[in-house]
Formats: sequence, structure tokens, C-alpha cells
Amino acid sequence: MPKDKAKNRPEIESTTEGTISRRNVLKIGAAAGAASVLAPNMFTTNEALGFQGIPEPPVRCVNTVPATPSPAHHPFVDEFLAPFPEIDRPLSPPPTEFPNLGAGEADRAPHQRWAQFAPAHFTYEMSAQVGLHKFHSDYSPTYIWGFNGKYPAPALLQRYGKSTIVRFRNNLPVSTTTFGRNEITIHLHNGHHGSESDGFAGDWFSTGFWKDNHYPNCYAGLDAFGGSPGGNGPGDPREKMGSFWFHDHRAEFTLNNNVLGLNGMYIVYDSTDPGHEHPSNGSLQLPGYYGVTDFPLILTDKRFCAPDPTTGRTEMVNAAGGDKWVVNGKIQPYMNVRRRKYRFRILNTGPTQTYDLTLIKPDGSVGTIVVIATDANFLEHPIPVDAGTNAGNSNSNTAPIVPGGLRVSVAERWDIIIDFAQFQNGSKVYLKENRPMSVGFPSPDPLPSGLNIGNVLMQFRVGNTEPWFPADTPPIPATLCTYPDLPATDNTWEWQFTLEAGRFRVKRPGDTIGCTFDPDHSAHCILRGTTEEWLLNNNIASGWTHPVHIHFEEFRTLERYVNGVLVGKLNDPTLPLHPLFTGRKDVSRLEAGQGALIKMQFRDFNGRYLIHCHNMAHEDNFMMVRWDICPDQASLNDCLANQQICHAELEAKERFSEEVA
Amino acid sequence: MQRRDLLTRVFEPHPASPGAARYTNAVLRTQNNEAVKFYDDLIRGKQCVINFMYAECHGSCPAVTQTLKTIYRELKDRMGKDLFFYSITIKPEDDTPAALKHYAEMRNVDLPGWYFLTGDSYDLKTIRYRLFNMDHPGLDSDLALHSGYLRIINDARNSWGMAQAFASNKNILTRIAWQDPPKSYAERVALVRARQAVINEEVKKYGYRRGGMNV
Repeated sequence: MPKDKAKNRPEIESTTEGTISRRNVLKIGAAAGAASVLAPNMFTTNEALGFQGIPEPPVRCVNTVPATPSPAHHPFVDEFLAPFPEIDRPLSPPPTEFPNLGAGEADRAPHQRWAQFAPAHFTYEMSAQVGLHKFHSDYSPTYIWGFNGKYPAPALLQRYGKSTIVRFRNNLPVSTTTFGRNEITIHLHNGHHGSESDGFAGDWFSTGFWKDNHYPNCYAGLDAFGGSPGGNGPGDPREKMGSFWFHDHRAEFTLNNNVLGLNGMYIVYDSTDPGHEHPSNGSLQLPGYYGVTDFPLILTDKRFCAPDPTTGRTEMVNAAGGDKWVVNGKIQPYMNVRRRKYRFRILNTGPTQTYDLTLIKPDGSVGTIVVIATDANFLEHPIPVDAGTNAGNSNSNTAPIVPGGLRVSVAERWDIIIDFAQFQNGSKVYLKENRPMSVGFPSPDPLPSGLNIGNVLMQFRVGNTEPWFPADTPPIPATLCTYPDLPATDNTWEWQFTLEAGRFRVKRPGDTIGCTFDPDHSAHCILRGTTEEWLLNNNIASGWTHPVHIHFEEFRTLERYVNGVLVGKLNDPTLPLHPLFTGRKDVSRLEAGQGALIKMQFRDFNGRYLIHCHNMAHEDNFMMVRWDICPDQASLNDCLANQQICHAELEAKERFSEEVA
Repeated sequence: MQRRDLLTRVFEPHPASPGAARYTNAVLRTQNNEAVKFYDDLIRGKQCVINFMYAECHGSCPAVTQTLKTIYRELKDRMGKDLFFYSITIKPEDDTPAALKHYAEMRNVDLPGWYFLTGDSYDLKTIRYRLFNMDHPGLDSDLALHSGYLRIINDARNSWGMAQAFASNKNILTRIAWQDPPKSYAERVALVRARQAVINEEVKKYGYRRGGMNV
């Protein structure tokens, strides 16, 4: 990097309205050097290094009305690659049950079940810091915030039964010209662990601090189930999950920090899904070599300004709503695939857009996508999505269904298998998104009839399988897993997601105006070990889609509604649920008018968790509430007594009584 | 008096503040018919809470004004010194400075540090979009949907936040405080330690961390 540093130096000096002068960098560096003798975390690395030598972007790249299109790019120049897996490393100081404040850890509750899961088998360090990333070869680098400076973040590849500590460090700049916020709290979506490691939206820590998140990588059901076979650790192995992701969850700034790049993939393997394709004991033998036949497919959208004349960088616009679709950090990449099966773990990191993906064959017709998992959970039976039987998965009469389309709202994950053996060597296959992006140059290859270049998310170039490449896996098993029976319901509850008079709210039964996010009060108190049925409702006319996410554990969908009318029921042959909703999920996509009755268990851990709309613009506007799992009746009673009040009359009373006083 | 206050106090913006390039320096008029530049006079180096309203609005605006009024009491030591409220009209064609003065006086909110602002329609639209551009662009140009949010800006810290106007008073006060976080690392360490003491107590008492950010 010395070459880059030398190149950057005059820019640092000339950035007068930026954040730092070189003199300040030296000054801070000297101070940090002195401080490090006294207390290692007095100053952070980036203060000492001058933000990794990367100057803040000029403030010029702001949104305009109407929006200015991003610079043009040539399609299919960059290769589609999996994020590089992160290597585990020893942590210094070693992780502790109680926070190590003296060494710079942020405040938190002690890790739960520490004795059961410590010491962690693997430890990692993830530093949230400034970086540069090229979103396209035609573009100069873009200023980002990334874990270890990278976008997408390095992937964490994990195994059930092997617990992990990830030390998240906040090395973000002390001041920034971007719209990001240098306070972070990292949520592992949708890990089953204590709330101190859950990235609760109010638990952020600022620049210079770090926090250990303890991920036991255990199946749900720890209280009831002992160890499980295959070295997979404790819990109910039927609760297996696979494709997680981690991202910043800072209240009000989740969108901003995720647009800047603070998210990444977290994959957990077990003996049924071992991360390889050998016929090992219990393995389903799905395409399973990470980065070879098994790829995360991380979607986001961005808008860029023209290259800045002073820095030469192509900065992203400081706002949501892009005109370039980005796949694994690249715009319109290509991927060389062999004539065999591949697994893609589709993840939509938003911030707000919903994708309708279709596979377009060389002749222009719609190809088959086999869905094997919904939100990290294997379906009991794989579901082919094609132009015929399972056309679309919106299960809606309010939004158009794209034939053969897989709808992916923010934070949803869909693990799919595409079999490229059906295509000729040398043919080109396309993944299409229903909304066009701006491109600016024609496709270098003739596109199938009916496909416009703006709609192409990425291109697959099909080649023969070389002898050294792993041979195709056996056919996808007809049964992938068996779900446990659902326990009896202890309590029922309703959450309404509303937008009334410009205010995003979550309403509970009896609330007249609904709740906004309040980190200090729980909106719903739950006794540990119980099971509840929740009706998630988007039935107040608004026209918005709310992908509702529930932290902590997966739910089963019992019923789906459209405008109050039951449209599908689990295990009901006369009115079946759409098959793609039969899987366990942690995001329930509620399009306008839709509702879902879900069932969820609250076990194994205590603490504060969240339910929120995962459209990041909505959650940042506080369409999010906190619910608590209380360990015992006394704790529950106290929680109930201090519940959040979201009642117009009470609030009015509060205000007018103050007025009189 | 208010105009003089604005001009005589020295407010230092954060070095990274995007300044007028983002906020614009549109010339607005207060309820006292004073001309003020939006960034230089109103935002620069200060903390402020901004809402959009219009005088003839009989829906939620009076309630938001009422909310701000009660919050004003809590913050009155800072009001007009380093903290300001700006209620900006979205109907400048009706809301002259005199109309806004009438509105403020009628509601007993013609108070130091609280300005009701009007100006050129194009400028106000630009400001509204710049302030809420994280949001859906259409949302705040709909007259019926204008009053949902309070934008909280602290230019001295270059920090942005917002609150929902109909959240509880305490919630709004918390969010105003969020935009004025501890300045030095030492202060942040002190805050972390104070919070940890509370957490330890709560874990003992309730079995988990019960409180949030506030100590």
C-alpha cells in the first residue's frame, strides 16, 4: 500500500473542508502513540493512522432532485466472486464473561450460558472501518465503511456445536462527511443467542470501543434437548439453520450504515449440510463448496456521482434508492459456471428495494429455480419455482406476480439451486430483476429475446466441467429435513404495522396510536419457555410492503391473510399456504393488506429482542419495538408494570397535566 | 432581540459539517419578519429541532406544537443558547411572517430560541427534501403527511437524528440527547462505566439487562 498512501498524501493536505489535515494526523498519531503506553484503547487505530489514510469523501455527492443517473458502466466486466472467508485468530485480551471495560469493551450484560459454551472454539476480529471498494472496473474506488475495510464483509463460515466469539471493533472515523453514524451495534440475523450479543438497536458503542458477541452456534431447544448426534452440539437438530448475515442495527442509522457497507454473510454448517459434497454420514450432498459451487448472492442498490475531480474517486450518493443493482459488491458481474448444480444463498441487504428474480434461459424463456431454504431454514421438501406451477411467491392479489419470479424483500434469504447441466457448453444464462437499472452501454453479448440489459442482474457463462472440478452432486433429495411439532400456544398477540399521517408505527391490541422504538421500555413481556401466536398485520391501507423481522428464533406461518380474508392455512389441503411460506422463516413479507399468523417459541435465553419492519427506511423511522423474554414470574410482573405506553389518550393526558402544572 | 442573539453568539460548526452545500443558505423570514440565512444563521454550530407545519393546519400540527411546547420547558436552560426549535411552514403562500407571529402568540409559543419560518416556496421544498432525504422523497411533500417527524441536527457535532412527533415526551428528549453525545473519549468511558453499574444491578434483579441507553 505505500504507493497508494503516497498518492493520497497531497489530497489529504488539500482537503480543507474534509475532516483532517496531515498535520492533524501527525498530531493525533503522536498522541495515540503516547496514549498506547498508558491505555491501549485510549485512541483508536484509525485516529492514529488517520482513518487508514483514506480521506473522507467530499460532501458534493448528495442526492439531487430529480436524481442524477450514475456514471455508465459496461456490462459483464467484473467476475462474480464469493466474499473471502475470514480466518479465525486468537483475541488479545481473551474474551470474558463480563465486559472487559478496562481494555475498552463497551458496556453489556454478561454472556448467558457462558459456562456451557466457553471457551469459544473460534474467535474472530471484525473491525468496522473505512475502506475503498471498486463497484465496477469502469469506476474508480468508492469510499465505504466495511468490516475489516471490505465490502461485502469477509464471510464467517461456522459449524453447529462450535461456539464463536466475534470481537466487533468500532474503528470508524471520529467525524465523517458521509451520512453514516460512527456508533454501531451488530446484529446476527437470526442467531439464537443472548440479547447481549444480539445487536439490540439501542446498545450501540462509539468509536474506540469494541464488543464481544458470543454466538454459541447452537440449535434452538437448549433447555429441553441435550447433545445431538454428529458432533453438532446441544439443542434440537431439527432447528437447524444455515444462511445468516450480520449487519449494523444502530437505531435511526441502520439504513445509512448498511448503505455504506456494514454487512456480511455468516454461514453455519452441520452434518446434514457439511460444507462439502462427499457422501459423509447424514449429508444431503447439496452443492456445498463455498466459493466454488456454493455462493452467497448479496443484493443491494446504489447510486454514484461522477468521479470527484480532486480525489478521483467515484463516491456513492448519501441516500437510499439507487439506480445500479449490485451483486456481491459488483455491478452486473458475470460468473463462469460448469454444467452442474450450484447453490446460491440469496440475501437482500436492502436498504429498501424488493427484488423479483427470474432465471432467463438462452432462448428467452423462464428457467427453473429450486428453492431449498427460506430464511436459512431448509424446506421440508424442495420447491421448484418456474413459469408454471409455482409462479411467483408473492401470494398476493395486490402486487403483480412475475411468472417464475422469486420475490426477495429486504433481509429475506432464499437458498436456491440452479442446475446448469441443462444448458449447452458456451451458452449464456441470465438472472433478471424485474426493475431496470441504468447501464449506459449495450450488452457485449446478444441477449435472449425479450430481455433488456437494464434488467440483467448478472450473467452466467456455462462451460464444460473440467476433470479437476468437483463432479455434479446427486439429485436434490426429496426430503431435506423434518420440522418438530409445534407446542401448544400459551398466549396470542397482535402487531399491526401502520403508516398513519406520516408516522410509522407498531400497534398492539388496544393501542390507539401505536408504538415507536423506545430502547428503555418493552412493548411486550414474555415468560421464558412459553409459546405464542402472533398476528402480524399490514391491514391498514398504506400501499407499503413491510418485511417484518422477528429476532431470536424462527417462526412457522400458520395462516396468511389478504385484506382480512384467509388465503392460506398450514397443513390445510382445502386452503393450502403457498408452499414457499410453509418453511420456517424469520422475515414475514407483508405486502399492502396482508397479514400472517405465526407461531414462535421463546426459550433458552433471556433479554431484550426486537420486532421491526426490515425496510431500513421504516425501521429507522422507528417502525420497531422491543419485546422481552423474562426468566421468571417476578421479572415478568415487573416488565409488565413498566411496559411501553403507546396510547393517545394517556400521552395527551401526560402533556396536558404538565401544561397545567 | 432574537436577531441580535443569532448574530452576536459565536457558533463553531463541526469541521466535517457539510454546511450550506447541504442545508442551503436560503433566506427565510422569522415570525418577527427578520431575514435569516438557513445555514449560516440557523444551523451553523447549533443544535436544532425542525418540524414542518402550517398555520391553518387543524390536524396534527397543533398537537406537534403542543408537544414541542412541553419539551421546551424541559430544555429551557439551553433554548436560544445552543438549542433552537424551527417550525417551518409548508404553505408559504398563506403563512406570512405576520400570520406565523399570530400563530405563535395565540399558542403562547413566541419564545426565545423558537422560530417560525417562511420563505420562498422553492427554497422550502429544497430544504424539506435535503432534511428528509433519507426518507421516501414523496412522503414529506404530501401536505397530509408533513408533520410526522422532528428532524434533530447538531451541527457542532455534525450529527443528525430524528424523532417521531407523536412519541412520548421522554422519547423525544432522549432522541435530542442522542444528538449531543459525550464529546471526549474519557467522557464516553465514564458513560460506559455508569451504564455498566446499572446493568449489573438489573441483571441481579431481573435476570437480564432491563434498561436501555439512559442512566
